[in-house]
Amino acid sequence: MKKVFALILALAMILTASGFALAEDLPTITIMFHGSNVTDDTAVLEAVNAYIADKVGAKLEVVWGTWGDFDEKATNALLSGDTGIDMVFTCSWSADEYNTYAKNGYFVKLDDLIAEYGADLVAAIPESLMQAATIEGAEGMGIYAVNGFKDTATQNCWDVNVTLLNELGYTLDDFKAMSFYDFGELFAKAKEVKGDSFYPFLVEPMVLERMVTGSIIVAGDSGSTNLLSLYLNQDDVSAEGPEGNVLLNKFATEEYRKFAEKMHEYYEAGYVDPSLAVAETSNDTRTNTQKTGEYLIGTQSYAFGYEFSADVLDRGIEVAFVPCTEPYVDTTASQGAMMAISTASEHPEESFKFLALLNSDPTLMTLMNYGVEGVHYNLEDGLVAFTEERANYSPWTNGMGNVTILPDTVDEGAGFRESFKEYYAGAKGIPALGFVFNNEPVANEMAALGTVAAQYALALDAGALDPADTLPVFLEALDAAGMQAYLDEANAQLDAYMSAK
Amino acid sequence: MEKAERRNAGLNTFGPGAQALFHGCLGLFALLCIVPFLFVIIISFTSEDSIRQIGYSFAPLGWSTQAYNYVFQLGGALWRSYFNSFLITVVGTALSVAICVLYSYPLYRKDYKYRGFFNFLSFFTMIFGGGLVPTFVVCKTLLGLSDNYAALIVPLLFSPFNVIVMRTFFQTTVPRELIEASTIDGAGEYRTLLQVVLPVVKPGIATIALLNALAFWNEWFLSLLYITKNMDVIPLQYLLMRMQRNADFLAKNAGMLGADAAKAARNLPSQSLKMALVVFIVVPIACAYPFFQRYVVAGLTVGSVKG
Repeated sequence: MKKVFALILALAMILTASGFALAEDLPTITIMFHGSNVTDDTAVLEAVNAYIADKVGAKLEVVWGTWGDFDEKATNALLSGDTGIDMVFTCSWSADEYNTYAKNGYFVKLDDLIAEYGADLVAAIPESLMQAATIEGAEGMGIYAVNGFKDTATQNCWDVNVTLLNELGYTLDDFKAMSFYDFGELFAKAKEVKGDSFYPFLVEPMVLERMVTGSIIVAGDSGSTNLLSLYLNQDDVSAEGPEGNVLLNKFATEEYRKFAEKMHEYYEAGYVDPSLAVAETSNDTRTNTQKTGEYLIGTQSYAFGYEFSADVLDRGIEVAFVPCTEPYVDTTASQGAMMAISTASEHPEESFKFLALLNSDPTLMTLMNYGVEGVHYNLEDGLVAFTEERANYSPWTNGMGNVTILPDTVDEGAGFRESFKEYYAGAKGIPALGFVFNNEPVANEMAALGTVAAQYALALDAGALDPADTLPVFLEALDAAGMQAYLDEANAQLDAYMSAK
Repeated sequence: MEKAERRNAGLNTFGPGAQALFHGCLGLFALLCIVPFLFVIIISFTSEDSIRQIGYSFAPLGWSTQAYNYVFQLGGALWRSYFNSFLITVVGTALSVAICVLYSYPLYRKDYKYRGFFNFLSFFTMIFGGGLVPTFVVCKTLLGLSDNYAALIVPLLFSPFNVIVMRTFFQTTVPRELIEASTIDGAGEYRTLLQVVLPVVKPGIATIALLNALAFWNEWFLSLLYITKNMDVIPLQYLLMRMQRNADFLAKNAGMLGADAAKAARNLPSQSLKMALVVFIVVPIACAYPFFQRYVVAGLTVGSVKG
């Protein structure tokens, strides 16, 4: 009998033994990234730790969060006060949403640290990004995260299959002169040429809606399905829109009805793949079809240089991105990727020094993002050419920090990062830049409205439902779920924000 | 003798019409269980082009073993996680069955003084949970359950539901006289439990073991919570779940992420690959069923037969 118990005890000991780590001289700081695809980081961390030992005075460990697990892991670590996570990704759309978590005291206020160690960081990042990160947090107005310098402006584009367009007898200039409401003849021709099972219009329905009606994502609005519309001034994004700085019920506007009617017409004519109208298949269908080049016009929320990515180059067709508006900076985009320091961290100083170095030192940024030279990439005429090893080490480039200090890759061509920097540094902010809707007072309404909108919005945006029948029912359901209260609260907050600004 | 048999048989049979009806119903039900799995197997052998053109279909346009080739190329990571799934299931099932039996046996013994208290202690957790974050704090900070096998086993070791099932099983199958008899014959408590009681309750243990094995085999949420750096210990389920969650997240946030989402989607595995992994996950546990089956059936009927 004793033997059995001894055996169980021994097993229990083995199971827990692996929990202990060996003591090190330098303190260990841990950073948690989003969206990584990393299976082997040994070579990189070795090089990084050799490089930062003197500069930062700490040893780095990385938690490579993936798209699917980051939200759970980050919120658990923060809410439980886990000392094992020092730095964590945050932004306007992740579960550890920047404004909320800063307000609730999970992020360290960085102003003092920036004053002491942040000279290089301040020099490397545009003033506007620092401002975008300055919010009312737990310890008053201040900066609670290091804002990454990436594609900080939004620009929605038509994704045009130029090869097919030319085949149909049109030039790109012809296309540029057209609007969404004139696409019908193009689609009809494409159907004629390519056959009945060809769907020329490959859209991301929600993005399409914003493109056509000229509205933006309002930070803090219901995330799954946006409910609020703020209309842009499409000629000059920094000026007030046609409705002024007012938040509207997205689905109750005249623009929306017009859009939904036209889209339904396109859908009925067989120009849109029906699986785009179903939430479960919409994105898969779009990305899979995009890869094959079997479309005429698509939608793309664009980032400078996207046309040089393998994603576009591999389609086997000539692709052009035709912008709907000039790039604009809104709150969502300007808080698109940040790195915060957890208040539970035992090494906030070292952590900040690391973040400052990562955002201002090209050597470290390149190492962390592209890996080790000779292993993950080789230099060809000063341009980065990735090796096969890159497949085992692909962090999310834009989620890491200042990507403008990265070297150019072979696909992008020389001078790319320089133009990238210019492009985004020159982007104009919308009038309501910085406004974040605090949805806490109407959280119940938002949940109910989100459920209602999830039933109708995507199918309407994709044209699968007839707005003549559905829109009145939809609007009524929204009203019953408290749309007016939601709108009033949002507009009261926006007014207060604009008058304070 | 023969007559008696016929009469008995007559008691338990129906007319041919009813027979056909029941067979039909049960056959249809069996089909409903099997067809989805067959569909998964077909999809896993479907070529990517066919999926793109006509979606999932029982009669795809083209066949391909590409998904399986890719799975085998995953190499180390795949076999490692496959091994982990087995390890976690075997160790976890053995430990949890031991704990369940050792907890429920005293609850069945009327002469155990603190029965009421321990009954309540286990029952209470069925109604009130600690919530996700407190549980996380206890497991990770207090017990050190992170980035190790223990994190994937310990939180699931004790199941109050199984304790209730097992206790009831003791109550219905083990007569108190049996324990008295073995005490009179001079057996100690351990000998009574291990050599007298356990052989009687084998069907109950098999049922519990099956439930536990399924729970451990299908578990992925613990990996999501507690495995952050050491990806060497994740089970196959989590490998699959991670792919699925990545795809879901990108679908949900494509509007926010824009071009990044499109780039990331390139790294996602194909539909057929996902189905191939499902096959890998389902086959072992499906193979384990027949071995448990006769005990589970015995477990279901044993009470009524003894009557």
